[in-house]
Amino acid sequence: MKRYRDIAGDGGSNIVGQVEAQLGKLRQRLASVGAVVAVVSGKGGVGKSTLAANLACCLALDGSRVGVLDADLNGPTQAKVLGVRGRRLVVTDEGVEPPRGALGVKVMSMDLLLAADATPLTWDAPVQDEAHTWRGTVEANAIREFLADTNWGTLDALVLDLPPGTDRLLTIASLVPTLGIVIVTIPSDVSHLVVRKSITVAAQTKSPVLGLVENMAGLFPGPDAAKLAADGGIPYLGSVPFDRELAVSADRGEPLVATAPERESARALQLIARAIRAALAPRAV
Amino acid sequence: MKFLCLDCDAPMKLHSTEGPDEGSLAVTFRCPECGFRVAMLTNPFETQMVRSLGVKVGGRAQEPAPFEHLRSMMANPRADAFEGEAGGETAAGPGCPFAAVVNDGAAAPPETVPWTSEAEARIERIPSFIRPMARRAIERFAADHGYATIDETVMNEARGAFGM
Repeated sequence: MKRYRDIAGDGGSNIVGQVEAQLGKLRQRLASVGAVVAVVSGKGGVGKSTLAANLACCLALDGSRVGVLDADLNGPTQAKVLGVRGRRLVVTDEGVEPPRGALGVKVMSMDLLLAADATPLTWDAPVQDEAHTWRGTVEANAIREFLADTNWGTLDALVLDLPPGTDRLLTIASLVPTLGIVIVTIPSDVSHLVVRKSITVAAQTKSPVLGLVENMAGLFPGPDAAKLAADGGIPYLGSVPFDRELAVSADRGEPLVATAPERESARALQLIARAIRAALAPRAV
Repeated sequence: MKFLCLDCDAPMKLHSTEGPDEGSLAVTFRCPECGFRVAMLTNPFETQMVRSLGVKVGGRAQEPAPFEHLRSMMANPRADAFEGEAGGETAAGPGCPFAAVVNDGAAAPPETVPWTSEAEARIERIPSFIRPMARRAIERFAADHGYATIDETVMNEARGAFGM
């Protein structure tokens, strides 16, 4: 009797071929993107989204062509932070055109597809029972489509804003083999405890870890972020002082580095962006 | 998943797909040597697992449209998220009358049933990314019910039959 491996193909659906076609389309899209940078943290509330938006704008200020993909499907904020909320999407032969936000940064976010402010992301299904078993696959495919079907054009850098935790990082690392990872922490023992695990997970992806950023520095006394980076064997990119104007400007959809580049926090972000640019130099960002 | 005809020791070929009906897909395989057929019936959970992969049982007749998976899977999409698709019959996602069929169905095409010009105009108002599958669903409905032509009355009946 024939065994599984004796039979070529699957009888007609060509599921493997369909999946390969999906990944081929993704590779083709990302071929015109110089670098993909994931901003991650195992800890929530450390300012990843604000940091990601401002770092993207710093790169844009330095003349780079930049896009931001909001990979936080359940808590999307980049449309708001970069000032494109409510924009309608245009489908062309090249894909879905991403709206341009502050400083011309291209933005794609689940927020642009949700019905209302109070609408959570839920997936259509005949039965929602046991949804946890398929939700991860659906969301991985959603991220793949955001990456592959958005007409990013030629970019020097595509910044990904990831949700808290490390699950999504593993998903994206499997889709984007040439990912650069920036890890964010704040000066607290709790944050360091969680972020230490994030550093381990990031290392397991085999993607280059560009470094650790300390956000909200000075808000309260806490452990040394540079030591955390050293302990984890990753570069320390720098520290961003706590500045409430960062949050205020994000609420206005005008990243601080664009509106008040002279502020201490904005200058710190510019230095960190330059360190990231240097780390990505072989990829010519 | 592969199917083997034990009598012939021959791999079976996909013959047709039906559904989803109450969340169940019927995928029929046929032995190319003896003609023996077997149907794989999925429960709603299994159907959903297939949907989550963003692939089509029965293969793809054409390239997926941009955001096809996202738009067909979101339960509460923004009706006016896309230019030129402001609600009503042109709305994407599960609000679309044929969403339950188009996302899963990849049935073998039925015999061609001609469309009236009015029905053609109406099907053109459906978003392009689901139009081919909606067209197939209506053609299958028309063939199953013995209609010689697809007109707006048949389309209305199909919508009713699809529960929309």
